[in-house]
Amino acid sequence: MSSTRRDFLKTAGLAAGAVALPAWVFEAEAEGAAAVDKNRLADIALSTAKRLGANYADIRINRYRFESVATRERQVQNVSRSQNFGFGVRVLYKGAWGFAASSVVTPAEVGRITGQAVEIARANSAFQRKHVQLVGAPKVTANWKSAFERDPFDVPIDDKIQFLLRLNEAALKTEGVSFVNSSVVFVNEQKFLATSDGSRIEQYLIRCSPNLNVTAVNRANGDFQTRAALAGPQGMGYEYLEKYPWLVEAQQAGEEAVAKLKAKPVEAGKYDLVLHPSHLWLTIHESVGHPTELDRALWWEANYAGTSFLTPDKTGKLQFGSKIINFVADRTQAAGLATVGFDDEGVPAQRWHLVRDGVFVDWQTTRDLAPLIGHKKSYGCLHAESWSEIPFPRMPNVSLEPAKENVSLDNIIGGVENGILIYGRGSYSIDQQRYNFQFGGQTFWEVKKGKITGMLRDVAYQSRTTDFWGACDALGGQATYQLGGSFNDGKGEPGQSNAVSHGCPIGRFRGINVLNTAAPERS
Amino acid sequence: MLLNEKEARAISERMLGYVRADDATVAVSSLNYSHLRFAANSFTTSGRQENASASVVVWIDKKRGAASTNEMDEASLKAAVEQAEQLARISPVDREYLPTLARQTYKPTNGFAEATANISVADRARSINEAIAACERAKVVGAGFHQARGTANATATKNGNFNYERTSLVSLGMTARTADGASSGYFLRNHFDVAQLDTARVAREAIRKAVESRAARTLDAGVYPVVLEPQAVADLLSGLSFSFDARNADEGRSPLSLAGGKTRLGERIFDERLNLYSDPWNAQLPGSQAAQAGLPAQKIYLVRGGGVENLIYSRFWAQQKGKEPTAGPVNTILESSAPAATLDEMIQNTPRGLLVSRFWYIRGTDARTASLTGLTRDGVWYIENGKIQYPVKNFRFNQSIMQMLAPGNVEMIGTPERVGNSEGQGDNASLLPALKLKAFNFTSQSEAV
Repeated sequence: MSSTRRDFLKTAGLAAGAVALPAWVFEAEAEGAAAVDKNRLADIALSTAKRLGANYADIRINRYRFESVATRERQVQNVSRSQNFGFGVRVLYKGAWGFAASSVVTPAEVGRITGQAVEIARANSAFQRKHVQLVGAPKVTANWKSAFERDPFDVPIDDKIQFLLRLNEAALKTEGVSFVNSSVVFVNEQKFLATSDGSRIEQYLIRCSPNLNVTAVNRANGDFQTRAALAGPQGMGYEYLEKYPWLVEAQQAGEEAVAKLKAKPVEAGKYDLVLHPSHLWLTIHESVGHPTELDRALWWEANYAGTSFLTPDKTGKLQFGSKIINFVADRTQAAGLATVGFDDEGVPAQRWHLVRDGVFVDWQTTRDLAPLIGHKKSYGCLHAESWSEIPFPRMPNVSLEPAKENVSLDNIIGGVENGILIYGRGSYSIDQQRYNFQFGGQTFWEVKKGKITGMLRDVAYQSRTTDFWGACDALGGQATYQLGGSFNDGKGEPGQSNAVSHGCPIGRFRGINVLNTAAPERS
Repeated sequence: MLLNEKEARAISERMLGYVRADDATVAVSSLNYSHLRFAANSFTTSGRQENASASVVVWIDKKRGAASTNEMDEASLKAAVEQAEQLARISPVDREYLPTLARQTYKPTNGFAEATANISVADRARSINEAIAACERAKVVGAGFHQARGTANATATKNGNFNYERTSLVSLGMTARTADGASSGYFLRNHFDVAQLDTARVAREAIRKAVESRAARTLDAGVYPVVLEPQAVADLLSGLSFSFDARNADEGRSPLSLAGGKTRLGERIFDERLNLYSDPWNAQLPGSQAAQAGLPAQKIYLVRGGGVENLIYSRFWAQQKGKEPTAGPVNTILESSAPAATLDEMIQNTPRGLLVSRFWYIRGTDARTASLTGLTRDGVWYIENGKIQYPVKNFRFNQSIMQMLAPGNVEMIGTPERVGNSEGQGDNASLLPALKLKAFNFTSQSEAV
């Protein structure tokens, strides 16, 4: 069966009625894509790999579209569109991986590149000490698209420009705002996967990343402060720009950037922290998402990102946090940036616990990692940022479950004698085994005797992962739950980015070390 | 395959031929890339890619649009130009538009080696096998990353400029850990010429640091005198020459800003022996022959004798301020005007302090003072009475770069060495010396190895 891009759009329900391809797609691109018979190319790659002795092979034929608009104050700095198309072939030969990729998508090139992938694997297999083995995966034939209401690539550019300029105006309303930068990036992935296990999968994904950053400068004393948007990227369509209260957010950003110039510098010491989801997601990402990656625990990332304080022997035993802490890995989460139908080796998306009732219970795995801890199946965490890169283990959405009760922000603050409420993503740094971390934020609010009493500045906190999660004594209910995320989480060599979300409620953490970043002293 | 100059020029001219806009610049790139990664003393991933792409920026009535594609057939290239023009027509006026450059004359640099761009996968497998074998002999567990790339890039403008350059880069970074996970060592080097990359040295140094870090003790955090190896300096300062932006300083949002809308230009902010500059023709660290917007690169001092000699003016900002646009930087070189000290001399002259081999996960915490936080990694040793006494566990630091290099805090300066920032995986390189500093602020401990 041959499948073309036009066929896929029809079967995926994206070409509504007689509506043509999205207006921005080049005619030439559409014609080129239509001329590519992916299934035939897959047959060539998989049969060539088999003939050359590979035990396993897969081919990904992917197209990526990017659209970005950037502005500052009342001017547009950049409007751009880019697209790239190509394929990558991965083979397993005598226990060694080989991979090769090309932007020339023709039958002859697929044959040549498959030969290169086998050549690389063969050269390495001569010295391979530990032979790679794969757990099985179901044979799948599927089309899947991410959940979005309005494809941003169908929306006129002018709408996006006006959206950003309106944000800038809202931020500039506040006297004292000096600069505003805003941008929006849209990504569309059109992915085809064929494996020698018999799977043939097409996926169509949309995500978007609006950004806003306001700067207030005090020319008289040389001080300046910034306030970035609290809302982050989402695995949503253009409806995210239409439904989220961005104008309110922009105006508030302007007001708070100016207010930070006059805020009280924090005094270093121990505080109870109340962390808003717009902030807490990043702490989850760094201190929970990364250490539960099994490749790190097995030292596969030792040369770059690092290893993990978690080890396989601690599974089901280590007290990761307090008993109210439950972390769930979820590649099916609504609006999640890492939400997919299938991973890059055809494993269906799943949901599973990493930490249950405060105890570390499970890992993020792929088909080659799973057998190393005795698992019979993969959790589906293989991902490559592009057709040109070799896929490797990447983080699913990892989220903190809210309290079952209806706990509000006021409820949580009400139990704080001397604390700080933190909103937004700020500076972040964590060691290579994910013990010691330091996080800043966007805005900081002093809490005294259960009430917010004023704004603070220059705040960062330092802690140790299990101490920090062990110090969590209250979580907000579902009504406080929000999804934050990163559009470009870096990992691996060569470095690749991954988009990933983290949902969480408001959390309270007792007795955390806070330092003043303008005058850091030993904490 | 990498595009040769004739091919790149032909594609550039073809794209410019499609342009109906008032002005345009096109860029044509091609890449050959390959890597071999290993961990737990075994190969993990290995691959290669070939790619080419073309991008175009156009202006119509000073309105800007941009598009790019990696499909290099006629129809796709033409479509990219049309796409950019379509975007330009619906965009507001680009208030920072300046006409693209007319023909420029470039003085070539030499940053390309054919053998690097076309590395043998079999030779590489053997070379990395030897590094793993060295780990096995030393009873440590090795992980590392070898990569090699060749690039050929061309830019052309509607006003007649054309620039073509080839570059290559090969790097090996390696981490060795003792089997019990109690100590770790790291070493990274890169070069444009594979013949100049000493892979055996990388393996030897990573293993040595792991072995010499065993039985690390715990020291209290606090302010310590430090000796920073070139790798640690690179982790902090590799992009230093690119942080001298004039516009940010003028707009009051840079550590080089002063109250009242002034800047620190001309002020001696660093130790008087320190010179920071960019030199496209440095033999060890060749830079691009073209600086921002295609201006022919020149040797540029950012800091001389500790004083700020130049800020970097973009073409637009230079026009606004009545200055010349800055023909750089294209690389970062930090050196002392005084005789250099060796690492051994620095240690011998340290009554009490820490030797730091590397920093990790460095992020800004306060842009006003160029303050950073991060951690030590893969080797910290306590020095007393001029001798290394024992390894110590890692620390988190919070430190202002301005204070770190300020007069009075820099005690000794080494010979600059070609070294890459470790978070950059070997993709970048600078020429940076070891430094002996009077005070460095460690704020907490980390048990990470």
